Amino acid sequence: MSSPWTALLPAATVGTDRHAAPLPTWPGDIGEAIQQAAAAAPDPATALLRTVAVLAGCGLAGAQGSAAPAELPAPAANETLPAPGPGLVFDALRQALADGPARLQHEACLILAQAGLRLPELLLPQALELGRRSVALRAPLLPALGQRGLWLAAQREDWAYAAGATNNDDADAQWAEGTLDQRRAWLARTRAADPGAGRERLQAALPELPARERAELAGALVTGLSLADEPLLETLRTDRSKEARQAALQLLLRLPDAAHPRRATERLAPLLTLERGLLLRKRWQVEAPAAAGSDWKADQVDAARPKHESLGERAWWLYQLVRQVPLAWWSAHTGMTAAELLSWAAGTDWTEALVRGWADVLFAAPDNAWCDALLDRWPPTLREDPARVLGLLPHTARDRHLMAYARNGSQPLATVLTHALNACPPGQALSAELSTLLVRTLHEKARNGALNTDYGLRGLLADFACVAHTGSFGALADIPRRADETPTCAEALALVERTVAARRTLHTLIPPRTP
Amino acid sequence: MSLLTTEAVLALAPDAASAKAAQGLLSPSGWPSLGASDAAVWGECQGSGAKPYQTQVDLAGPAFRCSCPSRKFPCKHGLALLLMRARQPASFGASEPPAWVAEWLGTRAEKAQKQEQKAVERAAAPPAEASSEAAEKREDQRWQRITAAAQDLQRWLADQIARGLGALDDEALANWQTQARRLVDAQAPGLGQRVLAAAAGVRRGVDWPEQTLQRLGLLQLACEGLARREQLPAPLQADLRTVAGWPLDRADVLEQGERVLDRWTVLGAISEERDDKLTERRVWLQGERSGRRAWLLDHAFGGRGFEQAWLVGTSVETALAFFPGAAALRAIAAEPLSATGPTRWPETTTETEWQAVAQRFAANPWTSLHPMVLADAVPMRQRDNVAVVTAGRALPMDLPDAEAWTLLAIAGGRPLRLMGEWDGRAFAPLSACGPDGAITWLRRSA
Repeated sequence: MSSPWTALLPAATVGTDRHAAPLPTWPGDIGEAIQQAAAAAPDPATALLRTVAVLAGCGLAGAQGSAAPAELPAPAANETLPAPGPGLVFDALRQALADGPARLQHEACLILAQAGLRLPELLLPQALELGRRSVALRAPLLPALGQRGLWLAAQREDWAYAAGATNNDDADAQWAEGTLDQRRAWLARTRAADPGAGRERLQAALPELPARERAELAGALVTGLSLADEPLLETLRTDRSKEARQAALQLLLRLPDAAHPRRATERLAPLLTLERGLLLRKRWQVEAPAAAGSDWKADQVDAARPKHESLGERAWWLYQLVRQVPLAWWSAHTGMTAAELLSWAAGTDWTEALVRGWADVLFAAPDNAWCDALLDRWPPTLREDPARVLGLLPHTARDRHLMAYARNGSQPLATVLTHALNACPPGQALSAELSTLLVRTLHEKARNGALNTDYGLRGLLADFACVAHTGSFGALADIPRRADETPTCAEALALVERTVAARRTLHTLIPPRTP
Repeated sequence: MSLLTTEAVLALAPDAASAKAAQGLLSPSGWPSLGASDAAVWGECQGSGAKPYQTQVDLAGPAFRCSCPSRKFPCKHGLALLLMRARQPASFGASEPPAWVAEWLGTRAEKAQKQEQKAVERAAAPPAEASSEAAEKREDQRWQRITAAAQDLQRWLADQIARGLGALDDEALANWQTQARRLVDAQAPGLGQRVLAAAAGVRRGVDWPEQTLQRLGLLQLACEGLARREQLPAPLQADLRTVAGWPLDRADVLEQGERVLDRWTVLGAISEERDDKLTERRVWLQGERSGRRAWLLDHAFGGRGFEQAWLVGTSVETALAFFPGAAALRAIAAEPLSATGPTRWPETTTETEWQAVAQRFAANPWTSLHPMVLADAVPMRQRDNVAVVTAGRALPMDLPDAEAWTLLAIAGGRPLRLMGEWDGRAFAPLSACGPDGAITWLRRSA
């Protein structure tokens, strides 16, 4: 596009000494003013400068940007949820997003959704940025974004995770156009309301889904799972993708009456025999398979023992068979409880194969009695983090174990807190009793000056403040301070105070939870 | 004190680090004492030392004082104190100010009184004959030097154009630096700065020849003006003096400048760090009764900060003294501020605003920033940049990335009331106002 300056550029670039052409003219009043100014100039260079002087002044006075695009981009849709206005809640949200900890951000989003609120517009860029960096935050964040957040996310590539579907209420759009996170959330909601409808939508979509999405979305079938899902799981069991096959096999473990787990138990049952032992007492014996079965491959029993595997070949086979059998079968078949089975296994030749197989099944289809039994007497051959098993338990059952750790002092407070935190997914809180006990122990430590020296414990305080029960807020905000506290300790305690204050404010939005 | 919102207080922070640090000090347990009266807020903050810091804020203003050694101003303690006042007024005991607060408030009042008295005295007393003669002589000498420098500059400008911009290599640009230094030596540093700015713009961006021509054109205009300064109207003479870099004394402005007593709405404010640890603060005001716009320009060295803070979205009753000039925008507060109150956002149309901008640019083309209040401005993304669309025109926005996203979030593709600075090329928003007149967004200092 040519500007009023274009005509001057040749002379200005080459220099008036070498560019002898007369100056261009401009129309109207400005043209006249230029002509007057330039005419009286003593030399061509000054004439050009005077022209430029007039143009510069007039150009600035008349500049009004450029013509607006004929059509502006569509504005954000109308909000269906209100956002908290300026005030304590707003400030608590701002602080949570700016300073964390991540668990507080998670809880803040959940509370907003529960209270029927969304994030204030001012905080949306920061929230979207947090979601970009933390995949775990996305699920609770999405419902809190409101229409404005979805609209904003659509304008920036690295926020696309939130921009798939722009309307929370339009369920079909979420499934058809949503991101993976949105589709998984949609499928879980649909399964909760109408498992058959959810299954059909997934089945119809499977052929065009990439491997990772097939696996992820299959996992969502866990909501409302029943034998009606067996045919779909049978298809997925032979999927091209290993992840999708795994997801299907894990779900089948929750359906003991399905054909696959039934075949698995039939395969295993002959290996268990009841033998007469000393003093006429009968005792179960287990034997590992002597050879791989010809039907194994069709049922995804992996006969090929990996290199570097600690189990021998036969033990590996036994392990593979065990990990396809629902845990309930063992008690039903042998009459032993989970605890009895564990101590029985310890006395067999195949301890590791059995225990590892059981643990795999437990993670796929959690069972409280088995969790308790494992945590009460952790088998030395099981190289898993007990916190993972703790995490499978519902609050009360989980807290029983943690309370025992804390009470008998068998573990340092930092270790108990680590377990408590690892077993407490973001957005969940510890029980009132456990919180009280832990805060009391923490007070003792603080009085003894342990917070000055215990680096590990100090680092856990902020996260603990995020999961402590609402009933412990008072005590947690009132940790005894010492005159000789170190700056890092003071900083850690200040963060605890801020976190508790923010949670206190946020919890006013929702009715108190009964533990 | 409902006007003291978190947003407004955070906007007073000299930088993002101070704002963040202040938010870490909001627990009342870190403050052994907290008190407030109608005029002031104070508290003692436990720092790393044995003795707590004494922090106080005079709410007329507000103005800050703290006994901490921080070079930031306002410091994190002062900001935290105001934030707590805004969020948790219940933590403050309503009481008589303790001695250390009363003393400071007393000194401030006294100082203000003295200043006023001095101004009155100066206005009343006839200028001492002898000293004014000497001053006049000095002034004449400086004008002579500046005029001579402008003549020299004009020849130099013509030289550059005769040789052509295409010939500008590094060696030629070094000559521009020399020219700038000569202007500084001739007591016309303002012209020198413009030469330096023009040199810095050479070969920058695709349209640098046009930009450079425009800069040289404005210099040419200044030279022509200075050559026939004495035939020009007084306001334009004053503008030329400013362009030459010879600012008027505050005292002279207070004494001679046009005074406008009004309730001034604080439309926008921004602090920017320049080179050499110099902080520049610009505050834009509009008089409720007079409709006048005003521009307060202050500088502070080494992060020392500004004694007087201006809360965007509030109104202040005071008299401003305007610098003489054809566009008459720049002013200083001539009186201590009195109680702030809720603001009334100016009603205006984009057409009126363009008209005012055009008139001000025409009156003084050397002013680089003009206040604009846009009634229906839609911030939007345009390719890789952001723009604001108003009345059929798209103005590129000059805004740091993070701030631009926040503004987009606030607007959601719908029109906003925006206040900002227009430099003829880009619009730099400073504040946004909601339909209810409440400030919804404020530009933060980086």
